[in-house]
Amino acid sequence: MFWRILSRLLWASRGRLLLALLAVTSGAAVCAALVNLDLDAGEKFTREFRTLGANVIVSPEDAQDAMPSMDANVMTRIAALGAPEEGSKQRAAEVVAAAPYVYIAAQTGAQSNPIAVIVAGTWFDQVARMNSFWKVDGQWITQRDDSAHCMVGTNAARELGLTPGSVVTLRYSGREAQFTVAGVVTAGGSEDNQIFVSLPAAQSLAQLGNHVALAQVSVRGSSAMLEDYVRRLSAALPGLEVRPVRQLAATEGYLLDRIRSLLFVTVLLILLLSAMGVLAATAGLAIERRRDVGLMKAIGGSVRRVMRFFLAEALFVAVAGGAVGGGLGLLLSEWIGQRVFSAAIEPRLVVLPLTIAVMIVVALAGALPLRLLGRVRPAEILRGE
Amino acid sequence: MPPIVQADCLTKAFQSVRALDDVSFDVAEGEWIAIMGPSGSGKTTLINILGGLDQPTSGRAVVDGVEVGSLNERGLTRYRSEKIGFVFQQFHLVPYLSAVENVMLAQYFHSMADERQAAEALVRVGLGERLEHLPTQLSGGEQQRVALARALINHPKLILADEPTGNLDEANERIVLDLLCELHDAGHTILLVTHSAEIGRMADRRIELAHGRLAQIAANRR
Repeated sequence: MFWRILSRLLWASRGRLLLALLAVTSGAAVCAALVNLDLDAGEKFTREFRTLGANVIVSPEDAQDAMPSMDANVMTRIAALGAPEEGSKQRAAEVVAAAPYVYIAAQTGAQSNPIAVIVAGTWFDQVARMNSFWKVDGQWITQRDDSAHCMVGTNAARELGLTPGSVVTLRYSGREAQFTVAGVVTAGGSEDNQIFVSLPAAQSLAQLGNHVALAQVSVRGSSAMLEDYVRRLSAALPGLEVRPVRQLAATEGYLLDRIRSLLFVTVLLILLLSAMGVLAATAGLAIERRRDVGLMKAIGGSVRRVMRFFLAEALFVAVAGGAVGGGLGLLLSEWIGQRVFSAAIEPRLVVLPLTIAVMIVVALAGALPLRLLGRVRPAEILRGE
Repeated sequence: MPPIVQADCLTKAFQSVRALDDVSFDVAEGEWIAIMGPSGSGKTTLINILGGLDQPTSGRAVVDGVEVGSLNERGLTRYRSEKIGFVFQQFHLVPYLSAVENVMLAQYFHSMADERQAAEALVRVGLGERLEHLPTQLSGGEQQRVALARALINHPKLILADEPTGNLDEANERIVLDLLCELHDAGHTILLVTHSAEIGRMADRRIELAHGRLAQIAANRR
């Protein structure tokens, strides 16, 4: 009988309940999407942050000597340490990119009127992965050992009158090499004043053998994972200094906390709005139901039994809205993931029961006017008050 | 045999207005009592107190050995579902439940709904063909007959009818009164509020109220 009456009630109030259902469903969808994003946020935001440049620098301990003294083979060990330790269940930091660097104070322009320029030799493929925020007019160089092309910082390009396709001659200690400009780089830092060539080309120009000055490493992982990586790398590379760029790590943590706080506050506001939506819908419903409640109590319905119908209505709205909205929210979070992070957001099924549970609380809170129906006095209703 | 209803100095005041003022009477089991009087004389207030819908300001109302004023909310609910069958002037059916479901609702609040029994109750009041009709699809007389079936389904000790024919045409009034006569003949105790002298004469006794006070108790000649 309970279900029979409940189905009649639901059908009789379908208009108002549909409004409440819409409020709960839309609230549930946005909340589920944000919660799902939040569960993935650490990984996704860290991934995004890792396009903002290196967060670990490896250099010789005694780097006063301007001459590069670090063996380039060190790069292999840096990359290898990014993999989790064998048998370890703990998640390890992941090396996104590692790029060796040599810097040469070279000259360009006419022999009679030379212009000094800083030439950086590096691995273009790694630099591109580490600094995907760089704006490039022209093209990235994709080959690590491309000795025919260079990339030029935007300030240097302006000073030297270089554009993509221009040819530039670099001279160092009586040796010279010619490069075609593949792209002009805007990085917003000192890189804008430099010319980038491949590591072999720079080493050849400056006769450095297989030595590099330093390595920039971009490592993905939590602060603890980063610390762990730095500790292990220091142990594996005696004589070299491994230092995290703490300021960057701290800023990343701060930003992540802020973004999570923003998500949390947004979810709270949406839940509040959903509850208000339910409240608006049930307030009208409560007025319509006063007569029914008074009558039911008059013919022997206990407050508990009568209110069970109306709370079941609110629960139906919560569960239906939470389930549909939760499902839509997971799809929404995938869409947001593609649009914002260009990566798939993994739908976490735990979000679904969580959303339904939260929506039950929201719907019951919003159904306050229905709960007040329990106080209706049948004599007053039957008198027509 | 003790009376089934004992009203002892019943008074009900709404702020400064005394809707009932020191009313006392007894009703024997199986009696049909007509409660009469002009509008505002306290008829409905009396019915509401006896039905456990309202509490007296002072005095006692004892129905089938239960002092209604001493019951708490839970006790009143149980009292209404087990001992009282209400019939209202405005029918007061749940609009989104069919005729049979309206009767089953009273069963559900009492103990357990039984569709077969509810349908039989409607057949007895001549609505066998209208079981699944909603109140809006029934005439006034038919709605009142559903209300009668609902009032009787839990075999109450006392039927309280507040102007049950007040909203009916002559033909339907006749049908409802015939049903009440049948119930009386079957031994049910009925307290019926009416303005109609003709209906009042159908009862065993008339209790007449005026300005909340008991004006007269008169037995009808049969």
